[in-house]
Amino acid sequence: MDFIVNIEVFATRFLGIFIEAVPFLLLGSLTSGLIESFVKSDDIVRLMPRNRLGAALGGAFLGLAFPVCECGVVPVTRRLFSKGMPVSMGVAFLLAAPFMNPIVFASTYIAFGFGPVFIGRFVITIVVAVTVALVIGISAKPGSVLKPIAMAGGHAKHGHDDRGHDHDHDHDHDLASLREKLLHAVGVASDEFFEMGRFLILGSALAALMQTLVPQESLLALGTGNVLSVLFMQLLAYILSVCSTVDSFLALAFVNTFTTGAIISFLSFGPMVDIKSTLMFTGVFRRRIVLYLVLLPFVMNLLAGVLINLALGY
Amino acid sequence: MSARDSRINWAKLLILLGMGVYLTQLIISGNLSNYINQRFGWLAYVGAGIFFLLALVSLWGRIKPSFHAHQHYRIGWDIVLIAAFPLALALLIPSRSLGIEAINGGISLRPVGVGNAATFARSPLDRNILDWLREYSRAAPAEFNDQPVDVIGFVYREPVHAADEFMVSRFTMSCCVADAFPIGMPARADAIDAVTVGSWVRVQGRLNAANFAGELLPVIVVETLEQVDEPDQPYLYP
Repeated sequence: MDFIVNIEVFATRFLGIFIEAVPFLLLGSLTSGLIESFVKSDDIVRLMPRNRLGAALGGAFLGLAFPVCECGVVPVTRRLFSKGMPVSMGVAFLLAAPFMNPIVFASTYIAFGFGPVFIGRFVITIVVAVTVALVIGISAKPGSVLKPIAMAGGHAKHGHDDRGHDHDHDHDHDLASLREKLLHAVGVASDEFFEMGRFLILGSALAALMQTLVPQESLLALGTGNVLSVLFMQLLAYILSVCSTVDSFLALAFVNTFTTGAIISFLSFGPMVDIKSTLMFTGVFRRRIVLYLVLLPFVMNLLAGVLINLALGY
Repeated sequence: MSARDSRINWAKLLILLGMGVYLTQLIISGNLSNYINQRFGWLAYVGAGIFFLLALVSLWGRIKPSFHAHQHYRIGWDIVLIAAFPLALALLIPSRSLGIEAINGGISLRPVGVGNAATFARSPLDRNILDWLREYSRAAPAEFNDQPVDVIGFVYREPVHAADEFMVSRFTMSCCVADAFPIGMPARADAIDAVTVGSWVRVQGRLNAANFAGELLPVIVVETLEQVDEPDQPYLYP
């Protein structure tokens, strides 16, 4: 009896998160498909500033031109590197773009309104992305940062993202090719939905399970520590690997039990680094740089979350 | 394309179609309000529309072999099974809102969110449980003495409650059930044994400041207590 009741409660909680989140995942997948079909990256790279700070800042906001989530960002970054984008710009783009995008703005706004969580997520994302970009950009030689395959003049033609559809990047815009491009975009969107959807489904299931089975006192014990709560939520973000378009709805499951700093750190750290993006990083960056890309954002977001908690006076 | 790939592609098509149908069914049946704030109901339309679009293009790829969909990722059976999980839950488990079983560690007497001029202007008989808790937080308990109350909620009881004490409760929901939060108003009634814990009731009565579970609170002195159906909107939206 108790078991059946728990399953019913779990089903309601799980489906609630899933139903609210899935339209955003679909919009993100469609965008990713459209970028793959239509956007030529060279022009945008050429327009960006060349000095290191300008490049890092530009990279942090480049997501507005390439609205991708954390899964789409690695292939796009790799393509941009192969078109000659500076290292600091690429790193800032990689870390910031999964949040810096209208779809994620919308889902964060719907979940939290325009308040401390939204603003905190925005500010921390930019500060961390630009700082890490500058630190890594100091080893300015792309050769010491990037794997050969991701470098300008490298073997980009054989890279994952360009494989087998060079015909997509030609310049004729007759009707047949437009239709083909649209069909291609939707096909990519389908695959993206399945590939990314599993992280949403597993993540929602875990969050719903915790809400249903773990007594609220235990969650509160974990969730009220200024440091512990932030640490826990960042580890959770890393493990769950949930798409940045929908992570706000997962974070909602913890607003009643966790500190605000922990919620914000979950939302700013998760899109930068998680299990699946770490794996994808290794395809672009050298091993030492991958370590920086994981640890620096982790430490900086942790500090930011703890500072927010102290400022709010928990 | 191998036979295995072909089977996987049909399975994907079925899932996309099934998700579209499921969201549509939630909208038509009204069960959508069991899961998300009705303010965001339009999201389900967007979701259903895109699912049908993806299914349609996927079908196009199935029946027209010359259009070969570029495989961006390798999708295996594991991924297909995970994607089928929400549909399986939706099919096997009857849709229902969060009720008393979902309360995990007590009910809050504090309101969620802040009221505004419009909610504070409501006359006592128009106030719901959330409106009342917001009022409670603005004045001393005794100031509500003799005000009439007419609210709908489910019956919640704790071991510390005396034989005639209970709380009339609702879940609040800002976005979706992930942030659902139980709140309740203390009440006192002689006929409490007549109603089952967890069932929906309409409570009418008058407020009187009294000691309730060790705290001085405005308590509803119940005049009529009738069992009612669950409302179409089971949650209160802050």
